[in-house]
Amino acid sequence: MTVEEKDRAAAIFKPETGRIVAARMLTETEKFFRVVLDHGGPLGHKPGQFVEVSIFGIGEAPISICSSPTQEDSFEMCVRNVGSVTNAMHQMGAGAEIGLRGPYGNGFDMEAMKGRDVLFVAGGLGMAPARGVIKYVLDKRHDFNIVTILYGAKNPSELLFKEDLEEWQARPDCDFHVTVDRPDDSWKGNTGVITTLFRNISNIDARNAWAVVVGPPVMYKYVILEALSIGIPESRILCSLERRMKCGVGKCGHCQISNVYVCKEGPVFTYSQIKRLREGI
Amino acid sequence: MLPKIIERDDLRAFVEALLADNVVVAPIRKGEKYVFSEVETFDEIALDYNISLLSPKKFFYPQIETVLKFKIGDRPESQAITEASPVIIFGIHPCDIAATWLLDEVFKEDPADPNYLEKRKKAVLIGLNCAQPCDEFSFCRDMGSYNVEEGFDLMLTDLGEKYFVEIGSKLGEEILVEGAHFRDATSGDLKDRQAYQEKKETNFVKRIPYDTKFLPEILEESYDSLVWDAIAKRCFSCGSCNIVCPTCYCFNVTDEVAASAAEGERKRVWDSCQLAEFTEVAGGEVFREERSSRLRHRFFRKGKWLLERYGKLGCVGCGRCDRNCLVKINSVEVYTQLAGEPVQ
Amino acid sequence: MKPKVAFFSFTSCEGCQLMFLNLEDELLDLLGLVEIVNFREAMKEVLADEYDIAFVEGSITTHSDIEEVEDIRKRTKILIAFGACATIGGINAIKNFQPLDDVRKYVYDRDWDKIDTVPTMSVDQVVDVDCYIHGCPVDKKEILDVVTSVILGKTPRVPDYPVCVECKLAENVCVFDKGLVCLGPVTRAGCSAICPTFGNKCLGCRGIISDPNVNAEKDLLAERGLSIDDILKEFRMFDGLSEVSK
Ligand SMILES: Cc1cc2nc3c(=O)[nH]c(=O)nc-3n(C[C@H](O)[C@H](O)[C@H](O)COP(=O)(O)OP(=O)(O)OC[C@H]3O[C@@H](n4cnc5c(N)ncnc54)[C@H](O)[C@@H]3O)c2cc1C
Ligand code: SF4
Ligand code: SF4
Ligand code: SF4
Ligand code: SF4
Ligand code: SF4
Ligand code: FES
Repeated sequence: MTVEEKDRAAAIFKPETGRIVAARMLTETEKFFRVVLDHGGPLGHKPGQFVEVSIFGIGEAPISICSSPTQEDSFEMCVRNVGSVTNAMHQMGAGAEIGLRGPYGNGFDMEAMKGRDVLFVAGGLGMAPARGVIKYVLDKRHDFNIVTILYGAKNPSELLFKEDLEEWQARPDCDFHVTVDRPDDSWKGNTGVITTLFRNISNIDARNAWAVVVGPPVMYKYVILEALSIGIPESRILCSLERRMKCGVGKCGHCQISNVYVCKEGPVFTYSQIKRLREGI
Repeated sequence: MLPKIIERDDLRAFVEALLADNVVVAPIRKGEKYVFSEVETFDEIALDYNISLLSPKKFFYPQIETVLKFKIGDRPESQAITEASPVIIFGIHPCDIAATWLLDEVFKEDPADPNYLEKRKKAVLIGLNCAQPCDEFSFCRDMGSYNVEEGFDLMLTDLGEKYFVEIGSKLGEEILVEGAHFRDATSGDLKDRQAYQEKKETNFVKRIPYDTKFLPEILEESYDSLVWDAIAKRCFSCGSCNIVCPTCYCFNVTDEVAASAAEGERKRVWDSCQLAEFTEVAGGEVFREERSSRLRHRFFRKGKWLLERYGKLGCVGCGRCDRNCLVKINSVEVYTQLAGEPVQ
Repeated sequence: MKPKVAFFSFTSCEGCQLMFLNLEDELLDLLGLVEIVNFREAMKEVLADEYDIAFVEGSITTHSDIEEVEDIRKRTKILIAFGACATIGGINAIKNFQPLDDVRKYVYDRDWDKIDTVPTMSVDQVVDVDCYIHGCPVDKKEILDVVTSVILGKTPRVPDYPVCVECKLAENVCVFDKGLVCLGPVTRAGCSAICPTFGNKCLGCRGIISDPNVNAEKDLLAERGLSIDDILKEFRMFDGLSEVSK
């Protein structure tokens, strides 16, 4: 066996190499990366999955894939600078090489959502994983029924993916609403917490709809409550949970809640599953 | 495979034959306690040891293990490390064999962990039966691990002038042939083994006042019990209970960089769910902030969650956690209290 | 440009600086990464007055120490508290448990009232500290880890869990089982439990973790026959500045 074959047989801690082909700041703290894998092929992910980004000497961090699998030549990430690995990534630009393991996690079950109304509710950095699913749904628009997107951020300068937001705003085949908690002088849109956007939802067949809810832990309770109150069943409210992760493959125990590993059986769970986990949200 | 007999006086020659061309690890004395360590002579082995500080799992899942070597820089490179060399583990007790089954399940689960499995494949387990509980802490009878029928290559039972040898694998059989000090067990030997077992069954008593098959239900009912808060008052969150446990498998991963800052190694290190930082994420949120929730997590893993996941209890009743807890948090007591029974 | 590194020493035995020089095998590599511009132990002249990294050893015990460390803070990007005296006050804090004038009389005899002294402080009681290298003395591996981390831009990892974790990893016989008492259950790990590994009790030289169960430790020591005074003595040996010693 060559070294590489051996490495592959020994895969779980061995990252592959990817090259950053585009990088730019989205906000003061979030940076966008487009990455091409060294082997040239697609990452082969499902919307909602994540990768373990490896910066040798510093460590690894789980990062959601924010592009859709329909984009095959590269994939994208949006990274908030909060610590060692994420800071090291922020120092990198196009041309830099990073280590990657994955894709990991269950991702969203897109098959199940086919033909249904889909309601997206994204708060803050939750737009990163949500964007991958939204892009997928919009790329395969005819597979889905009414598409509604609600997005909330603390203030206008923290809104991610502004070009995408404009596109969604302009598209007649999706219903997009955005709000900020603290507007600045230039802000003309909605203000208030994200739950205030629920009154804008029109015409969806709630009993058959899916809700995709991604955001900071504090957001979940309130948004799930709203989703339930408009009639979406518990088993069709999907949330993506965050936990400390070290391995990404169901071994290290860090992400465990009850008898599940968030890295493996998650990070996407239905609200009915989360309820049973008790420590979920 | 039919059982064999080796005379007491021949055991030395058998072990010496193993020592001649293998790395053999066995229990040896360390102060008043015992540890598994490489031995060079038969006489170092403490055949009468009660229990080792750490279980022999450290030979397939070392406390600190390099999993990757890397080069830092514009063109980062890495190489996976899964080195494993053969080892004979001599004198492993039933509970630690039972614990190995569980670890096997965990590390075999897709995606399989080659770092563990390579070492495990190359390890020969020669068991040594326990005639009586190792001390007042063990509750292996309750956890059903005081007798094991599988999971070993050979299993020795001390019948006085002779050892009864059960063969658990093809590999075990091959080692026997090499040793050549063995004869087939006769019906007389089987009778002696039977007598040993009867005696053993009376020596081992149950200590938890209910059948442990009810543990998952009892824990389910006890999620909000105040018992967790009560034991949390004295818990140090020192992690000793995890580190000494033969079934604990959680680990941390850290990068260690050479002084040149140009290369380094990624290591995995045993970790403990009793430490606050186990669930801490960037920004400082800790998902199990209360000591009580961390203790509950440990007991739920042992008595319920791993069973649901892997089909095996996460505890073999070796008592190491309790033996090493400086503030006397005791599994048998906890399981007893949770069921509303008085602690003995 | 290589980062400029300086070393400064306040009240201490200067043993931690020696540990740096004792890095033998790694020292050359490290010197390839950084430029040492001020080193009281090894160099005579001061070569710069702006630093990237300042290692500050020793406790702050006089008014002039306070001024000096404030000055160092202004001149350096990263300030590393280096060794127990600097990180937690260490042995020097023992004097805080006696009236200050008595200490001065005892130490300086006749001229005591001319000597400038303040209660012992750790460096972070006076200025902001970016990074800690705990221990009495510091551990070589940790020096390496911190220096390479700073070079790579990573926040060095200082454990905030008890020494017992590393002691169990080392498969030591617990010193409580040998009739000694030990501060391991409330002391910050990172030293690979070196004292228990050599059969001694942990004296708490790396400081108390941020969420210690102090009552449990006090009960444990009392159970082993220590009086309240004895227990406080154990804590005050290194951790005089900590709440646990009050
Ligand atoms: C499934 C999943 C998807 C995520 N997606 C994104 C994303 O798209 N964009 C983004 O900016 N962030 C994302 N995060 C959070 C991101 O993983 C953390 O911010 C990151 O690990 C912090 O690492 P650090 O080294 O910079 O910080 P440090 O504070 O230096 O963290 C040290 C180590 O702790 C662990 N850790 C710390 N925080 C977290 C955390 N929140 N989750 C998991 N492990 C953690 C990691 O192993 C990390 O390397 C995601 C987390 C999870 C679990
Ligand atoms: S716990 Fe039971 S099986 Fe394990 S060593 Fe003790 S007596 Fe033997
Ligand atoms: S060994 Fe005892 S004190 Fe330490 S974490 Fe476990 S239960 Fe708590
Ligand atoms: S939980 Fe305790 S008794 Fe059970 S296997 Fe682990 S150390 Fe042994
Ligand atoms: S010797 Fe000290 S540090 Fe080690 S386990 Fe015992 S109490 Fe903890
Ligand atoms: S064991 Fe305790 S006293 Fe010894 S070096 Fe570690 S922290 Fe310091
Ligand atoms: S991240 Fe290791 S088990 Fe989930």
